[in-house]
Amino acid sequence: MNGCEIRVAGARFAYGAQEALRGIDLTIGAGEQVALVGPNGAGKTTLTRLLVGLRRPSAGRVTVGDWDVSRKRPDEMARRVGYAFQHSDQQLFARTVESDVAFGPRCLGRSAGAVPGVLEELGLTGVAHLHPYDVPGPMRKLVALAGVLAMEPCVLVLDEPTAGLDRAQRLRVVAALARRAAGGEGVTMLAVSHDLAFVAEAAARVVVMRDGRVAADRPARELLYDREALAALGLRPPATAQIGMALGLAGSPIHAREVVDALRRTEWRRTAE
Amino acid sequence: MTALIALEHVSFTYPGAARPALTDVSLELAAGDVLVVTGETGAGASTLLLVLAGFAPRVVGGHLSGSRSGTAQRCGVVFARPWTQLTGLCPTVRDEVAFGPASLGRPRDAVLAAAGRALEQLRIPHLADREPGQLSGGELQRVVVAAALAMGPDVLALDDPAAELDPEAADALYDLLPAIARAGTAVVVATPDLERAARVATRGVVLDAGRLVAQGAPAEVLDATDAAVIARAAGCPPPLPLDVPALVRRVAR
Repeated sequence: MNGCEIRVAGARFAYGAQEALRGIDLTIGAGEQVALVGPNGAGKTTLTRLLVGLRRPSAGRVTVGDWDVSRKRPDEMARRVGYAFQHSDQQLFARTVESDVAFGPRCLGRSAGAVPGVLEELGLTGVAHLHPYDVPGPMRKLVALAGVLAMEPCVLVLDEPTAGLDRAQRLRVVAALARRAAGGEGVTMLAVSHDLAFVAEAAARVVVMRDGRVAADRPARELLYDREALAALGLRPPATAQIGMALGLAGSPIHAREVVDALRRTEWRRTAE
Repeated sequence: MTALIALEHVSFTYPGAARPALTDVSLELAAGDVLVVTGETGAGASTLLLVLAGFAPRVVGGHLSGSRSGTAQRCGVVFARPWTQLTGLCPTVRDEVAFGPASLGRPRDAVLAAAGRALEQLRIPHLADREPGQLSGGELQRVVVAAALAMGPDVLALDDPAAELDPEAADALYDLLPAIARAGTAVVVATPDLERAARVATRGVVLDAGRLVAQGAPAEVLDATDAAVIARAAGCPPPLPLDVPALVRRVAR
């Protein structure tokens, strides 16, 4: 599935008198993997809602590929853009995990052929026949994500996709996204995330929002090594970047495998002392 | 030391469930412990909290075999979804936090003092006059922890207490746990967030499909943190460093 370019030009949005977006200009190239970070109330979730057509900008323009989002209904947008809510329970309703995941493709008039593979990727095969509310909270998060992936959208908009997940689950999500990002022009992804270990593995570029504006837009490899910029956001570098900084590793490694490679020839002390 | 809570060969089955959620678990909890319970999703960590705190089967029903004993009089539980835990009766956060000690029949001065202390401990005195229903998830999570602490529990059981918190607030909450434990309360935390939990744990327990498969020092059983996984993959011999400073100290330079 080929990605689409996302283009946001001068977008503004207010909830009543409360301005949430104060003029956003942002272009995400087709097939690009971007993380969106920023403090609570910065407007991150509002921006994602504009991208999927759940909210319309009061000024400015949002396009996904050649579609003007303001001219499309949410159900039309769903053919192109998959959206995973921050609170995944809001998007689960079927009687079984499997039928919940199959709902999206069925609504789009497609076969449910992708469903078993997606369940397998996210480690949900064993719970496929359970009621979504009978599986633990973190797994419900994965069920909601599986439902989005099963629709095979060309753009993925994910709001905190790894919140509450353990390490193994996070790695499954990273791997599932990496598969869709691969290839000549993979799926375009924008993920709101506080989880910088996830950001390090899944995104090449990080957009920082503050007070309804884009405050910074930097390569992940650069921002994740900028302790001060992260501290201003209430964030700490991921473990990989912390190790890279402390040991002065070359090339600013942020992926775990890069750090492991850099440490392979290390001599380890038996104990710390 | 006498155990606050001792489980011996405990198995527990939820009402109507075909299989036990916990099988043959033996475990002791003492004052000063910060015990971190972890395992894959569904392994039984939350259930173990409910059993330790005496909520299962007393409140949730089901069947428990084996024995649960110990000197603990009072156990506070904080659930993963804080909004399920509000009384719904209190117009302000201060009242909400005071509700527990007040319901124990303590004198008014003692109730207000306990509530005030708990709000201070969680660094939320500024929320005291707010309406609980209007708080963010992160604020609410701190309110329910304060409400549990205000009752002066012997055991404080926390189910993924930082799930709703942003990273800074999550760090702050975990940083409080050692002090709570030192003051004489045993703290038990069930969480997948080993990065934070391993920093404050005095002991760890790993569950797999309801069975306790490992128990011991954090460095021995909580070795699935990012730093530990990287160190292992890069050939570091055990005990594995659990956080970045520990990893850096192990690198010979």
